[in-house]
Amino acid sequence: MTDNTHALEIHGLSKSFGDIKAVNNASFDVPEGSIFGLIGRNGAGKTTIMRMMMNVYLPDSGDILIRGKKAGQEFRNSVGYLPEERGLYKKMKVLETLLFFAELKGKKGKAVSDTAKGYLERFDLMDRMNSKVVELSKGNQQKIQFITTILHNPEFIILDEPFAGMDPININILKEMILEKKREGKIIIFSTHLMDFAERMCDHIAMINYGKIILNDSLSSIKTRYSQKNVTLTYEGDISFLENNPIVEKMSDFGNSIGIRLKDRDQTQELLRLLLNNNVKVKKFDSEDISLQEIFIELAGRPTGEDFYLAE
Amino acid sequence: MLNNRIIALIKRELREKLMTKSFIIMTVSVPLFMLLILGLQMLIMLYQGDKGTRIELITQSESLTDSYKKYLAKLDFIKDESYIINYNTLPRRSLKDHIEARKKEILSGKLNGVIYVPSTALEDKEVEYYSKTPNNLNLFQKLNNHINEVLIDQYFSEKGLTDEELEFARMGVRFNGFKVTEKDELEKQGVGNSILAMLFSFLIYFSLLFSGGMTLNSVLEEKSSKVVEVLLSSVNSRELMTGKIIGCTITVFAQMVIWLLPIVILVTTTWIILPEWLVIDINYGHLIYFLINFLLACLIFQGLYATVGAIFDNAQEAQSGIFPIIMLIMIPFFLSFTLMNNPNNNLAVVSSYIPFATIFVMPLRFTIVDIPVWKLILSQLINVATLMLIFPLAGKIYRVGILRTGTKPTFREVLRWLRD
Repeated sequence: MTDNTHALEIHGLSKSFGDIKAVNNASFDVPEGSIFGLIGRNGAGKTTIMRMMMNVYLPDSGDILIRGKKAGQEFRNSVGYLPEERGLYKKMKVLETLLFFAELKGKKGKAVSDTAKGYLERFDLMDRMNSKVVELSKGNQQKIQFITTILHNPEFIILDEPFAGMDPININILKEMILEKKREGKIIIFSTHLMDFAERMCDHIAMINYGKIILNDSLSSIKTRYSQKNVTLTYEGDISFLENNPIVEKMSDFGNSIGIRLKDRDQTQELLRLLLNNNVKVKKFDSEDISLQEIFIELAGRPTGEDFYLAE
Repeated sequence: MLNNRIIALIKRELREKLMTKSFIIMTVSVPLFMLLILGLQMLIMLYQGDKGTRIELITQSESLTDSYKKYLAKLDFIKDESYIINYNTLPRRSLKDHIEARKKEILSGKLNGVIYVPSTALEDKEVEYYSKTPNNLNLFQKLNNHINEVLIDQYFSEKGLTDEELEFARMGVRFNGFKVTEKDELEKQGVGNSILAMLFSFLIYFSLLFSGGMTLNSVLEEKSSKVVEVLLSSVNSRELMTGKIIGCTITVFAQMVIWLLPIVILVTTTWIILPEWLVIDINYGHLIYFLINFLLACLIFQGLYATVGAIFDNAQEAQSGIFPIIMLIMIPFFLSFTLMNNPNNNLAVVSSYIPFATIFVMPLRFTIVDIPVWKLILSQLINVATLMLIFPLAGKIYRVGILRTGTKPTFREVLRWLRD
């Protein structure tokens, strides 16, 4: 089963809390040098999987292999982990905090102190080096938290809902940092319920629903596989006539656009013709295109409530 | 056993706790608090609140009444009018009417009571006291000897005894304690060691309570600030708990060493000369034993407090979990005090080998009486065994509890964590 191109392999991971099966026989692989997205709605089991990867939770069954070997302390030293529930020692000073977390990962001395100062400079926090964490704004605390994740130059960066609660400026900073780390050859695994982010950043995806992995592949393969009979349409006018049309298998409304699944991939031209004949103003017509959101809905059904949505 | 991660955790704990403002305040305030308590106790003992006590002393014969009048007039508490005594002589048959006549004064508090010394007291020493508060121990303690001495004088006055013989008859017995040890010489022992034993118990008590609170808050803070998950991505829960417990233990241990410094000076130098009755007879062995015992006690209780911290979300909820731990500190503490009068009775000996109780009882006994080395070692082995038993259980609960938030877990749930 061991594949050399896989940095991390998850085999048959399960975890229950009382009667609730949070993760059910989950398996997926994370290729070397990739940005890997673990996506699913809130409560799907993403955090539980990440906590098991970090040995915060012990799995009931299953294995986590790092390049073919069981994950141990060595792996934890080579991981930077940003948990969903952020937390720092409020009364500790900023630089002290950074150096403490680096020391826990086995990194100390002048080199790491210089690197920490370098990051503080980059995040425009150099003047707050000796401030207590509690004195910083929430946004700045998030930056400090992110620096603690990457300060020890980890090979694996695991981010649980990294964009949650961030303002657009900080989201951009974080995105840049993630892409920079990818260029450095790091393996980045992040979980999100924001499909747009996953679609824009990830090379590989594992989709989780009710504790089960329902999809695991490269983003391009997934899209190719699911987009063949699909058309994404942006329009003005009334398209209700398509609802009972024999060439349409399914329609999914996403507000600004609509996803149309045809019964046959050769019926794309006919669809376009129908739209034009019915005076629909076509603004955008993407054949063989599908969003992750559409794929998820197709696989898992439309979620209830607002726990699963596109990023603004 | 101690890897770099645990050392980093210990360093953080020390940076946060050792030599901080609260550490210094605590280190200074506990001895001050103890001095204050002792001072207050002394004040309370000195203050008996019986100034202005009015008593009527009645006997059945003029000569006995005169004897009391003469004898009591020499006493300080009569001279300074703390006690004002009126004397009277009455036959037994008139006593009832007399008490009836005095009733109003007694009930209004103008007269505290009537002491009746019948002639039969010269045979059976039975004296009567009529009052609103007939069991006034303070008054009995004050007058008992003096009433008795006059009776003795009367009894022997017609037996032709000399003054010396009378003086001898009046005297009570005074016990002088000599400590029998392995050493050749017998040493007269004052109360210095008993006071020290009491002090040791106090120090363990205060230190365990305060340091326990410190550990509890520290764990609760890590939970509430959500920093614990970040920590657990680098260290495992056992390392986290070990680092915290060792860090806290070093802090309180350092504090204890500071508290013991005056005693070390007292024992090892001649800078301070204590009166004979207060001389402290201990050596380095006692101090080392005390510190080893304290170290193990700290580790045991820090483990328990950290576990309770992990189970609950906030200090308020944690109160119910702390209660049994506080009992494990308080019961042996008070037990050790009751055993001070006879540190070799069966209860004292047995409790020296009962987990948790040994933490308080054995150091106290060792300070007052000689204990063979093997028994001292045995008591510490019991502490070590307690520690070894508690730590794996505490570790299991800690591991599950530390990441748990939400509703307060039931006792059954916590037991399930142990099984998982």
